[in-house]
Amino acid sequence: MSAIAENAVELSRLPEALKPMRERLLANLVMIAQIPAPSGEEEHRVRFLLDRFAEAGLADAAADEVGNAVGRWHGRDGKRTILLASHLDTIYPANFDHNVTVESDRVIGPGTGDNALGAAIVSMMPFVLEHLGIQLQSDLILLGSINSLGRGNHAGLRFFLEHLPGRVDVGICVEGLQLGRLNYFSIGTARGDVTCDVRPEPSRSYGSESALVVINHIINRILGIATPSRPYTIIRLGRLRAGVAYDVEPDHAELGLEIVSHSDEMIDEIHQRIRDIVAEMSARHAVNAHEDLFFRTRAGGIPFSHRLVKCILGIMQSLGIEPDQGHSPSELSEFIARGIPAVTLGISRGERSRMKGTDYVLIEPILTGVAQLVGAILAIDRGACDEE
Amino acid sequence: MKNEPWLAERTFHHSQFWDIKRLVEQKERQGLTISLCLPALNEEQTIGQEIVILKAELADRYPLLDEIAVIDSGSTDRTREIAASFGAEVYLAAEHLREEGEQRGKGENLWKALFLLKGDILVFVDADIRNIHPRFVYGLVGPLIDDPDVHYVKAFYDRPLAFSGGLRPTGGGRVTEILIRPLFSLFYPELTAILQPLSGEYAGRRSILEQIPFPVGYGVETGMIMDIYERLGLYAFAQTDLDRRIHRNQETIALGRMAFGVLRTFMARLQRRGVVEFHDPLPCLMRQFEVGEDAYRQIAYTIEEVERRPMIEVDAYRQKFHPE
Repeated sequence: MSAIAENAVELSRLPEALKPMRERLLANLVMIAQIPAPSGEEEHRVRFLLDRFAEAGLADAAADEVGNAVGRWHGRDGKRTILLASHLDTIYPANFDHNVTVESDRVIGPGTGDNALGAAIVSMMPFVLEHLGIQLQSDLILLGSINSLGRGNHAGLRFFLEHLPGRVDVGICVEGLQLGRLNYFSIGTARGDVTCDVRPEPSRSYGSESALVVINHIINRILGIATPSRPYTIIRLGRLRAGVAYDVEPDHAELGLEIVSHSDEMIDEIHQRIRDIVAEMSARHAVNAHEDLFFRTRAGGIPFSHRLVKCILGIMQSLGIEPDQGHSPSELSEFIARGIPAVTLGISRGERSRMKGTDYVLIEPILTGVAQLVGAILAIDRGACDEE
Repeated sequence: MKNEPWLAERTFHHSQFWDIKRLVEQKERQGLTISLCLPALNEEQTIGQEIVILKAELADRYPLLDEIAVIDSGSTDRTREIAASFGAEVYLAAEHLREEGEQRGKGENLWKALFLLKGDILVFVDADIRNIHPRFVYGLVGPLIDDPDVHYVKAFYDRPLAFSGGLRPTGGGRVTEILIRPLFSLFYPELTAILQPLSGEYAGRRSILEQIPFPVGYGVETGMIMDIYERLGLYAFAQTDLDRRIHRNQETIALGRMAFGVLRTFMARLQRRGVVEFHDPLPCLMRQFEVGEDAYRQIAYTIEEVERRPMIEVDAYRQKFHPE
């Protein structure tokens, strides 16, 4: 099987060669998906991954200082280090029904695609490589990262990259959805909340009014900020929360917003303008208004001409995968911020409903998605993705 | 009470059998084969998950199971299609041993499993478990692999936990606590130590299962326990705590019909033993009542609790498993 990824014919045979692994991959997907893991409470999923790493005989399999699941597969010479990362947290609270249903063509359940499938593939990668008889030259680090989503702001992966002794040469972020996804640059993103609290009655100055009304003023001012089309920049107002009843003016209101741009400077500039607006409105309406930017990714990435991108496009073509290139809001930005060439790849097709409906992943594409990942690892391992 | 030492010696927790690799080595050393049977009727919501997890962990990864089969009572949903798509052997119960006539029910599927499956040990796991885990199988076969004197292992789920008042009741289920345990207390005091006699998961040796009759319906679990006890005594049993089991909850009205079937099976055995005598055959009609818009309505269910003779008495079976 070592000829795999050497040529397209061998690569196209990989999904067939992986067929005996299908049920084990699905079983891991089901078992991981059934473990609740809201951000900051991923410890049971971490335990699951570490058990898998230990069973696979990985020499170093342990939780790191912040609680990421880490396993290292030592290669023959260890001259390169490849990091395969998937985030373990989900948007679903622990008390949500996490049961999973397996139908003949799909696995249905909350968070199956984002990111139980990614975690399942990372947990099974040593067994997949062993099954295919692959021995790498490079070291392969398998990481199940914690605290990635929302306010977690990629904390697990950031800690890992900042504290790993030695370097990572190439990173691959593994996401359950969608197969064909090839992200190699990250658009800059800043996310934050604006909160507004009406001061207690005795200390109210003239003009103090409903928190909802003040937030509305703030929104109107934010909408007045001109955003350029080049570099592409938008301000997205995504969440608004206030009030408990029709006849009570709210004391507290929250606005969740996101600034997205190809330019980090533009994000900084808009962020500063929003801070000024909030400060001014706080004073003008005699309320306590604050902005809190809790999530930030830097714009950047590797160019389309990078050999890693070309190589993965070639692998996708061999496997009949239609590439979908674009920017990624995933953990990719953490690699980019540290100058590490990296990509985000998806494993299967399916639906991510964000709690509005039913999440599912299709079974049939999974082996192709895993084959793509194996192809990428092998290509990186033999230096095919190194820049001159 | 004789069953107290048994309770201490033969009650296990699934974690005692976590080392599946060791179980496989022991199994192979003894030359045993193990078959998993999932009796099913319209279980498309859960069957796929059960097969995927049990096959992946207990057949593909560790070869503890030699065979995984679904024996279906005639599902009208996609149960059989889903089961087959993940590599289970699928049998429609009615298509086999036709010469024995047709019956329907879980017990019928289990009885036919003896004929259709090849294992020396048969593990029966209900197909409606939502939190399936390999422990549901290795926890049951572990005692059989480790101890040749154990012939039948029963699952229980609600382990007595320490709390401020000492131990809390074992919560054997409504039919168990209201019907079975009182009946066992009256007629089979030793068997009261089996914490959940009606649990749907158990494993047994072919050598004993082929010797006993199988009620085809609700009474199959009760009948098995009583018949094995009659032949081999309490120490043929073990029980394993499998922790939590999530499944469909049955309405009380449905449990009433179940209790009727179990009671018929129980009484039939008492009569066979000469403990009780009925001048007339017991009726098969279970009457329940519904409140309509302006009247009460009676619904009568026929619950016969037909019994299949011991499989060892079936010619086709003897030719297949005991050709000499």
